[in-house]
Amino acid sequence: MAQVTTGERKSIFSLFNFIALIVLGMGIYLTYLRFTGGLAAVTHLSDYNPWGLWISFDLLCGVALAAGGYVTSSAVYLFGMKKYHSAVRPAILTGFLGYALVFLAINYDVGRPWRLPYPLVVQQGTTSVLFEVGLCVATYLTVLFIEFSPAALEWLGLKKARNLVVKLTILLTIFGVVLSTMHQSSLGSLFLIAPSKLHPLWYSPYIPIYFFVTSIIAGLSMVIFESTLSHRFFGYKMDETHRKEANDITLGFGKAAAYVLAGYFAIKVMGISSSNHWHYLKTGYGAWYLVELLGFVALPSILYAIGVRVKSTGLIKWTSVLAVLGVILNRFNVCLVAFNWQLPPNERYFPSWMEIGISVFIVMIGLLLYRFIVTRMPILYEHPEYKGAH
Amino acid sequence: MLKGKSLLLGAGIAVAIVILIIGTMNAFNGQALSKTPDQNKAFVYRADIITFDNMEAFGKLKKTKAIFLHDQHTDALEKKNKDCLTCHMSENGRMSPKFMHLKDIGKEELTKIYCDNCTKCHAEIIAAGEKAGPVKCDDCHRERPLIKSSRVEMGFDKSLHYRHSKAQQDHCDRCHHEYDVKTQKLFYAKGKEGTCRYCHKKTTQVKETEKVISMRLASHFACIDCHQKTEAKHIDAGPVRCAGCHDATEQSKIEKIANVPRMKRGQPDNVLIKTGDEKGLIPRMMRVPFDHKAHEKYNDTCRVCHLASLESCAKCHPLTGSTDKKEITLETIFHKSGHQSSCMGCHELKQKDKSCAGCHAVMIRDRQKDSAACLRCHMVPLPERTGVLSTSKAAKMARLMPELWKETFGPIYHVKVPKTVVIKDLMDRYGPVEYPHEKVYNAMVKKIQDSKLAQYFHYSETTLCVGCHHHAPADGNPPKCSNCHGAPFDENHLNRPGIKASYHQQCMGCHQRMGVTKYLTCTSCHKERKKEAKASS
Amino acid sequence: MSISRRKFLGWVGAAGLSTAFGKSAAAATHKHFTGYPNSFAILHDITLCVGCRTCEDACNRVNDLPPPDKPFTDLSVLDSRRRTTTKAFTVVNKYENKEQPKAPVFYKKQCNHCLEPACASACFVRAFTKTSTGAVIYDSSVCVGCRYCMIACPFEIPTYEYDQALTPRIRKCTMCYPRVTKGQLPGCVEACPMEALSFGKREDMIKLARERFRRYPDRYVDHIYGEHEMGGTSWLYVSGTPFKELGMREDLGVIPAPQLTAGALSSVPVIAGLWPALLAGIYAVSKRKEKIAQKEQEQAVASALDKQGDAKTQSKEES
Repeated sequence: MAQVTTGERKSIFSLFNFIALIVLGMGIYLTYLRFTGGLAAVTHLSDYNPWGLWISFDLLCGVALAAGGYVTSSAVYLFGMKKYHSAVRPAILTGFLGYALVFLAINYDVGRPWRLPYPLVVQQGTTSVLFEVGLCVATYLTVLFIEFSPAALEWLGLKKARNLVVKLTILLTIFGVVLSTMHQSSLGSLFLIAPSKLHPLWYSPYIPIYFFVTSIIAGLSMVIFESTLSHRFFGYKMDETHRKEANDITLGFGKAAAYVLAGYFAIKVMGISSSNHWHYLKTGYGAWYLVELLGFVALPSILYAIGVRVKSTGLIKWTSVLAVLGVILNRFNVCLVAFNWQLPPNERYFPSWMEIGISVFIVMIGLLLYRFIVTRMPILYEHPEYKGAH
Repeated sequence: MLKGKSLLLGAGIAVAIVILIIGTMNAFNGQALSKTPDQNKAFVYRADIITFDNMEAFGKLKKTKAIFLHDQHTDALEKKNKDCLTCHMSENGRMSPKFMHLKDIGKEELTKIYCDNCTKCHAEIIAAGEKAGPVKCDDCHRERPLIKSSRVEMGFDKSLHYRHSKAQQDHCDRCHHEYDVKTQKLFYAKGKEGTCRYCHKKTTQVKETEKVISMRLASHFACIDCHQKTEAKHIDAGPVRCAGCHDATEQSKIEKIANVPRMKRGQPDNVLIKTGDEKGLIPRMMRVPFDHKAHEKYNDTCRVCHLASLESCAKCHPLTGSTDKKEITLETIFHKSGHQSSCMGCHELKQKDKSCAGCHAVMIRDRQKDSAACLRCHMVPLPERTGVLSTSKAAKMARLMPELWKETFGPIYHVKVPKTVVIKDLMDRYGPVEYPHEKVYNAMVKKIQDSKLAQYFHYSETTLCVGCHHHAPADGNPPKCSNCHGAPFDENHLNRPGIKASYHQQCMGCHQRMGVTKYLTCTSCHKERKKEAKASS
Repeated sequence: MSISRRKFLGWVGAAGLSTAFGKSAAAATHKHFTGYPNSFAILHDITLCVGCRTCEDACNRVNDLPPPDKPFTDLSVLDSRRRTTTKAFTVVNKYENKEQPKAPVFYKKQCNHCLEPACASACFVRAFTKTSTGAVIYDSSVCVGCRYCMIACPFEIPTYEYDQALTPRIRKCTMCYPRVTKGQLPGCVEACPMEALSFGKREDMIKLARERFRRYPDRYVDHIYGEHEMGGTSWLYVSGTPFKELGMREDLGVIPAPQLTAGALSSVPVIAGLWPALLAGIYAVSKRKEKIAQKEQEQAVASALDKQGDAKTQSKEES
């Protein structure tokens, strides 16, 4: 088995390497454009639409999809579900990479990136939700780095340091969950200040809770999705435990996701009824809302449930894709589609190819880093020296 | 097992895709992203829609009202050589506007009359292999009908009244009538004619003492019956179809007579307004002579002023108010602002005319306190003590009135107006303004001469000049604007504009309101001072 | 056998708890700020505006903005709908007058200088300040350029120098803060030939507006736009045309922007305080369960060994 995968690996990655090279080249060129010509040179942002793809995808989706880290680590370390232990490291790694890339993307989006520490160091705008987001994301990035560091330290052979960090695991996990709860929900709270701009179907006083719950969905689904990909491409790196536990993880996380999605569906419906926005469902935006709610919340919930019931990992894996797309769709809807819905069509925003290019570039960096780390550090297997030492 | 899984998977994805496609298509259907589906449907507008409102008198309706297109039915019957009596019954030789009944007896009976007769006829026609209206309940009683009413109200104006009375050779009794409660019969009372609406109200009154059918019923009874009978005699007759009266374009085709002769109802030419002194009360104000004849010209029906009867105002409106406030006092009805029936209300509406609005729009809407203005109407001195003028004396007065008014129409102003005034209070970016004072003055005088109302109230120089020179003394030497208007935003005089704004508001505001489009940009009055402008900024 | 139902419900319950706390905390902060005493306001009487663009010209000169594409005397620009830009802090737009089609209505748009500004509350470096003159001013020396102020502004006023690579600023009307502190009138107010803009203390401007309503009741819509909108603004508007027809949002409500996020922000300390305790508790419970399970297992194994001590072959197979 392993032999075959290795054989495939090479051919795939040579093609992949070629694409990666093109993307990196384009990314560097676009980066040059961005930092010489300003945002106007590469984006379609305008005074009406100050936030575009980089905020909606790179920040909002990035942070949501990187939620696997805190979801998995809290399940394993805090809720005592030891049998999912092998999922922790990949999840932490993707979480760490995700947040690092979010930070990278933010550098493109803000006007003067070198001032990003200002809110922490120079002047604190404590009345701003964005201040809370910034504070939490910065801290959580550090936490994730420390959480991830044992793998790197094992690779580097720094035993003492590694053992010291491992002792902090529970503390870091609790810290991570607290920070995640705060900033995942706060990303939703960002929009609380603009009730006049966000369509009433998406604007809700509960939007922080929606964002938090969807981050759990995204976290669970991303773990399933990533493990599928890792199996496909890095299966040869995995040890027995990882392979054995993989099915359990898929089923277990799928079941959890089914529940959370059902709960999310319920609170979304409650949200509409509490603000009595039923009549909006008859409009075009209402139809689009129903697409999101039925096609990307109710449907994955049901499919997950069926998948768990008939123990079909294949169905669960495909459903995880649907659920992840659902979270992405939700972030796009809140930040782009339903935002500024009252503007005339010619004032609405659509990203330029260069914005998409930068986003692809950043994702590509993530993939390359992931490959670099996974092929070197003990992520998908336990380091022989530390076996069972958790 | 494997098949089952992939089947499920396929089904799931298929459902998702279908939802996605349907939703997306709905969402981005044209530009109608935020429109409700209802807004996209095209409605048909018709003037001949009848809903059977008489059912409502018997309680809440179970179904939505059926929509009946009357002209469509008339046309259809005509093609089959059937007349109105197919659906309408006759009473005392007159056709009733009601459908196959004469009196609204009760809910069940009415439902039966409408539903059974309509569907019966429709079914018969369908059985004969032709197209006909609905036979099922919900086809008539639609939740969301796609037909909407474009019906416009029909009125009987002076021109129409004149045409009818001429055609009827002044036989007023053919339409006008009174109702005798005792004998329960209609009779004609000469000299007591009034407009139909004085008795026929919006809804039918069923009380024993005042059994009066609604205006709608009465007019359809009387007009259509007469028009039909006239038409039968092959004489040119009025409309019998709904659209003939109630469709906007058809209505506009009704011939209008330009100079309608006065109605013959024994109304006075000139009258001293009666002040209702039944209780022996003496009004404090001097009495008002009123040119009834002149005012008739400005209105289309008597009802504009005589809201409820053709009696004199004092008949219904007392001199003093009562505590229960049911009665509106004479003072109110003559002076109420914004009401077309009151003297001042109507005159104020006239001030909104372009020729008047230039000055009048900026005048504060408070009651005018100037006693000279009151005297323009209150001009006939009260007789001592009694407050009563004997009839002969009043008549004498009335005859004298044109003499009283003579000098007020066509006033001659004795004022010396400078030809031009150079305004140079402010010179910054722009040069001084040469204001053609005499030209403006002449234009204003011309406008006044064009209107009898304006002539009457602009009786002296002061009333004319005050349009611009507010607070100007009567001697005709107005103070300089800058005496009061200085720097803007004086905290003690919040409402007083600064000198620059007072000029601009005065000139441009007036031009705007009068529809003068010529002098609305900076350079149409000023010349730009390019060098100075740069130096000063 | 993943997360047990009880655990899952507990989780959701905890999340719900935090929101409940958040809400009550928000309710406690409901205080209405009615502006600095004696702060200034500008009353824009839309019925008086003639659309001459003199205010735009003055604004341009006072703020040293780049020259416009078309000169300010060119009134043809009024035919298209414009918004504030980095080069124009104020714009006058022309609107149709339904009652008198021949007399269009002009409405000047610029920063409304909210009493409790959304931009200031949204800024995470406090680059915006509501000053005691009423002006909301911006300090570009700390601005990071995140543009959250633009998202937050309900009037869509702040603009951003997208074409600046490294030094982009937010640009908007300053209510002529530097001039007002020197005792001068704001540029636009000073230039307006019609006094369609009146400058004075906010209370006086409200009084003035009401006095105009009283004097000319049929000229105005009986509403001072900005008196209460978004908690009140330092620019006030009176109009003869419904504000909605002038593109002014009437659905903004009277809640000042900071209060919209205050609830969510006040739940932060609750999460920070409650979450660790809750999670530590959950950890302790699961740890204890694990220990008990381990003990039971050990006991079971021991007893099994005892029982099956003789059957050596069987025990060998089991291990």
